[in-house]
Amino acid sequence: MDIFTQKERLLRVLNKEKVDRPPIICPGGMMNAAIVGVMNKTGHTLPEAHKDDKLMSLLSKDVHTHTGFENLGIPFCMTVEAEVLGSKVDFGTLACEPKIITEVFSSVSNVEFKNISKILKKGRVDTIIQAGYYLSKQNEDVPVIGSLTGPISTAASMVDPMTFLKELRKNKEGSHKVIDYVTDFLIEYAKLMIDNGVTVISIADPTATGEILGPKMFEEYAVRYLNKLIDGIHSSNVPVIVHICGKLNAVKNLLPNIKCNAISTDSLVNLRILKEEYPSLTTMGNLSTYLLEFGTTEKVASQTEKLLRDGINIISPACGLSTSSSLDNIYTFTKTVREGSVK
Amino acid sequence: MSDNKEILFKKLADSVVDMDEEEAVAISKEVIVQKYDAFEAIDKGLSAGMEKAGELFEEEEYFIPELLMCSDAMYAGLDILKPHIKIDKNEVKLKVVIGVVEGDTHDIGKNLVKIMLETSGFDVIDLGRDVPPSIFVERAKEENANIIALSTLMTTTMDNMAEVIRILDKQNIREKFKIMIGGGPISQGFADKIGADGYSVNAAEAVRLARKLVTVQL
Repeated sequence: MDIFTQKERLLRVLNKEKVDRPPIICPGGMMNAAIVGVMNKTGHTLPEAHKDDKLMSLLSKDVHTHTGFENLGIPFCMTVEAEVLGSKVDFGTLACEPKIITEVFSSVSNVEFKNISKILKKGRVDTIIQAGYYLSKQNEDVPVIGSLTGPISTAASMVDPMTFLKELRKNKEGSHKVIDYVTDFLIEYAKLMIDNGVTVISIADPTATGEILGPKMFEEYAVRYLNKLIDGIHSSNVPVIVHICGKLNAVKNLLPNIKCNAISTDSLVNLRILKEEYPSLTTMGNLSTYLLEFGTTEKVASQTEKLLRDGINIISPACGLSTSSSLDNIYTFTKTVREGSVK
Repeated sequence: MSDNKEILFKKLADSVVDMDEEEAVAISKEVIVQKYDAFEAIDKGLSAGMEKAGELFEEEEYFIPELLMCSDAMYAGLDILKPHIKIDKNEVKLKVVIGVVEGDTHDIGKNLVKIMLETSGFDVIDLGRDVPPSIFVERAKEENANIIALSTLMTTTMDNMAEVIRILDKQNIREKFKIMIGGGPISQGFADKIGADGYSVNAAEAVRLARKLVTVQL
């Protein structure tokens, strides 16, 4: 019998309290485990579940049941925010995730600033918060994680990204104004999820990487608006996980400035070394998603054991999972953590 | 006289490195007024500047926003100089068909590679983002391309790169094209696994790879 429920364990880790073993999670959003192997078993399928609150909650529950991940995660894409802000979305297929077809604005200078409480009634906002409500009511012991696309990525899904990246330099005032607006929207959206029972908010901001922005702009834009968003969520007493994509070298020293409760990284990053350098960080990660798709169960188990030995605080995949990832591999991954073959 | 020319080309290169579009246009116009060779100005000015920008990118002095602004300055100069190039009818440009594989709409990396290849004299056919594997093959055939360049940021779409190669194999035309791949989750190991001809870690490296692949081919 476990000492802690799945929810207690995750919340304790995020609060820097002691636990029996690390939780094993897959937060949803960019990093979700709604794989073809699960959907074919249960018949609760994408793309339908992107737009239907009941189906979304059923699929989230299916993922929890069949993979062994110790959380419920919604939504299953990174397009909810951009759609609400006006961009066109292709909802994809069973095996192919939704994507932005065209960004609605060509430049930060022609972004239309709308009334946030009004746009929160648009798109799939209601679908997501309803799904969060059902999941949290029906699963009191399991943490429900609501996923957000971070401020920079959301802005770059609303404004043409090539222009946007240049404008971060050329038109700082305009860029700040747009990202600030996007952040205000994200805070209100997160609060709606929290009001409906979501336990933890997870932010993935794949455009806000050190590799793309470099350290100066990472600090000026990514750290600043991630922190504004985190502060907004913390005001509701809910912990926040932030996932940073890619190599961290250029921005590593800035990570402790991000006020999140745990930082998740790509498989390129050695989390053990990162922990040694910055002991204040609560680390999350980072089993290769390539391994989860193409590796053997033996290799998955041995790499998972390495993460356990390295003392990673929360175990999770390193990045977005392929929808054709192997369910056997994912199950082996979660089982290895549960059974904790490393003492 | 020739000193003045070299100084002007150097200033043109600097305008690209300094991301100064207006300066690049002004100097390019000056090149035309002075009746210097437009091609030489592109080579020793704009391309040299872009090459320097690529080095700064590799040294992590510049990042993607800076590289994009350098390329804007480069293209602005190119618009002025291009109409003045004396056309060499015998020159055959090497052709690259490039795109982001289906399922992925992230095209920043692809655009950078395109810019760097164009700067280096390749004729680049851009198929855009979210491109189905069969389209890469069809367009490469139509264009009689030398290289097919595939990009993705997402692990979920990597297999579409292998699919392009499978289609080429099936049609028995794999040997006609060199395949180069790149993007966030891609590695040399993955390139070897799917049988691509090469992998490059960034846009500057992609140019070296493309040159190497076609030298082998010619």
